[in-house]
Amino acid sequence: MRKILKKPEVLAPAGTLEKLKTAVIYGADACFIGGEAYGLRSRAGNFGYDEIREGVEFAHNRGAKVYVAANMVTHEGDEEGAGEFFRTIRDIGIDAVIVSDVALMDICVSEAPGLPIHLSTQASAANYENLKFWKEEGLERVVLAREVSMKEILEMKAKVDVEIETFIHGAMCISYSGRCVLSNHMANRDANRGGCCQSCRWKYGLYNLDEDGNKNHITIGDKDKEQEPFSMSSVDMAMIYNIPDLVEAGIDSLKIEGRMKSIHYVSTVCNVYRAAVDAYCDDPDNYVVKQEWIDELWKAAQRELATGFYYQIPTENEQLFGIRRKIPDYSFVGQVLSYDPETKIATIQQRNNFKKGDTIEFYGPGMRHFEQVLVEFWDKDDNEIDVAANAMMICKARVNQEVKPMDMIRKLK
Amino acid sequence: MIEIVASVESISQAKKLLEVGVDCLYFGEDTFGLRLPFSFDRESQKEITELAHSYGKKVVVALNAIFHNEGISKVPEYLLFLRSIKVDCITVGDPGVVQIMKQEGYYIPYKYDTQVIVTSSRQINFWAKRGAVSAVIAREVPKKTLEKIMREVTVPVEVLVYGATCIHQSKRPLLQNYFNYIKKVESVGRDKNFFLSEPNKPDTHYSVYEDDNGTHIFANNDVLLANYLSELNEMKVSIWKLEGIFSPGDNFVEIAKLFVLARNEIENNTWNDEKALILENEVKKLHPKIRGLDTGFYLFDPNIVK
Repeated sequence: MRKILKKPEVLAPAGTLEKLKTAVIYGADACFIGGEAYGLRSRAGNFGYDEIREGVEFAHNRGAKVYVAANMVTHEGDEEGAGEFFRTIRDIGIDAVIVSDVALMDICVSEAPGLPIHLSTQASAANYENLKFWKEEGLERVVLAREVSMKEILEMKAKVDVEIETFIHGAMCISYSGRCVLSNHMANRDANRGGCCQSCRWKYGLYNLDEDGNKNHITIGDKDKEQEPFSMSSVDMAMIYNIPDLVEAGIDSLKIEGRMKSIHYVSTVCNVYRAAVDAYCDDPDNYVVKQEWIDELWKAAQRELATGFYYQIPTENEQLFGIRRKIPDYSFVGQVLSYDPETKIATIQQRNNFKKGDTIEFYGPGMRHFEQVLVEFWDKDDNEIDVAANAMMICKARVNQEVKPMDMIRKLK
Repeated sequence: MIEIVASVESISQAKKLLEVGVDCLYFGEDTFGLRLPFSFDRESQKEITELAHSYGKKVVVALNAIFHNEGISKVPEYLLFLRSIKVDCITVGDPGVVQIMKQEGYYIPYKYDTQVIVTSSRQINFWAKRGAVSAVIAREVPKKTLEKIMREVTVPVEVLVYGATCIHQSKRPLLQNYFNYIKKVESVGRDKNFFLSEPNKPDTHYSVYEDDNGTHIFANNDVLLANYLSELNEMKVSIWKLEGIFSPGDNFVEIAKLFVLARNEIENNTWNDEKALILENEVKKLHPKIRGLDTGFYLFDPNIVK
């Protein structure tokens, strides 16, 4: 039986220490976190050094890697302190730093030798000569521009020996990443320094002007009752149907987007891609896409899903116009802390309101999941309750199947 | 010595720009360059280069596209062509082009030009060490930041003093996709003069068009730094860029002429605030009526943009 030995890495976003641990437990081979000052998601919950240390220890103990995104484009002066930052995270044991700005790269190379560098997608690497350039600069890996097609990846792999990482799931920039300053100009928020306010998803007016400056509207924008407003907003990416292509192309790392996303998203998406990559690599000739993977991804989806630029230039069907498809909306209601097989009672930490009579779904690493109606329900002192109303409260429930610590509970809203 | 670089839309305009004293002509073809007023064939590129050289002036050719495999595979041949017609300089944004120029027989002095991500002296010096002879500063860099950059750079810096600012480039056909969705047949090129307006700001006007390189969106107003030319000179900014993509014909030549006169006066120490104000007003008169002008990010407090 054929087996694939060189499995691609499943790389997950980790906006917080808790999400990092979740990602690792749910099967990520590596996760990427934001450094304190140099990341691109200023609101994504960046890590301090102590948290980085704890995260690295947790991941390394389980055979997973941790990368730090330092992918902002510095303006003069922003780079102050970067040398110490890179040295510190290198000494903590970070496996690589993700950089797009050559100023930060220069500092990292000279002040933290030995810390591997990955080129961020923000640098829009889209051709094989570009990859050769970065390889000769000593970079370990290039995260490709999201605009690169599968055919182009195959050609790159044939021509250049450098690790390639591509996005396989999540939201997408509409522009070439790093080549967009809409947010700077429209909202005084620097997209390349972590301030992006997603101006591309706004609803715009579209018109032309004649020589006298008279406006001819196609649409007046968000208040238009007659015509769809102009928007650039795109559906998200999901490559779940295309795992064989990704593996056979020899892509080294499959990246899931979303340092801002919830623990529910991180656990669900990691779980699915872990299962799919393992299933394909273990027995590629008998591989089938399981419906439950697709169902799971939809439970954590925010928008419609498509394959980005891998197989075609996105058309109007891959943009968000008109009435949106109804996506099942799940909330993450709790996490299992412990389980007693004798009594079949799970101790749960509440994350969102849920109550007796609700149909709740337990899921855990390895794609374990089952649904049940919540019948027997107690607080931490074993008093019967109807509802888990207090944030983070500890409660207990009788469950129909075995569960494990770090299993999650979700509920259809 | 301040060098004035102006974009070119036709051979006849090239001649006029040289006549009024522009130092360097900027042009190219859409396969390799971004957001050009006109896409010239090879014969015309040769003609303009020879024309400039006959005036003792220079040319810089646009090679600043974001290349995919197919695009980059055409670059070696183009570099050889540009060397054969003896262009003085090219603009480069994709490091793949720098990689190709490492091979013997392909190098042409280049300006590092990525539109939005040249924002520090370290970046500029990084590219200078790898063969760049100058760099084009991002339009989003305010004066106070520029002053700091200028103290540290090892190569000349180019600043846009007049013209349009691109703020977004997508590979997606964003206009075509929209028109397909609303089932309207429409061409989407630059000649259509399409603009976007922001939600709740109906008077804003961001130019948008599509070409072979994707969809391009431009800032609400074009830039005019007429009142700040002497301080740019004091900072030792030595290259002024005049961008004519939305400022066509003889008016653009007239504008270039005014900047040449300003440059001469600055170099002769006869420039003053009053003359700067006159320059500003004259350029405003020559600027297309349907487009606005302001000073972009130049006067911003660097802390305003988070």
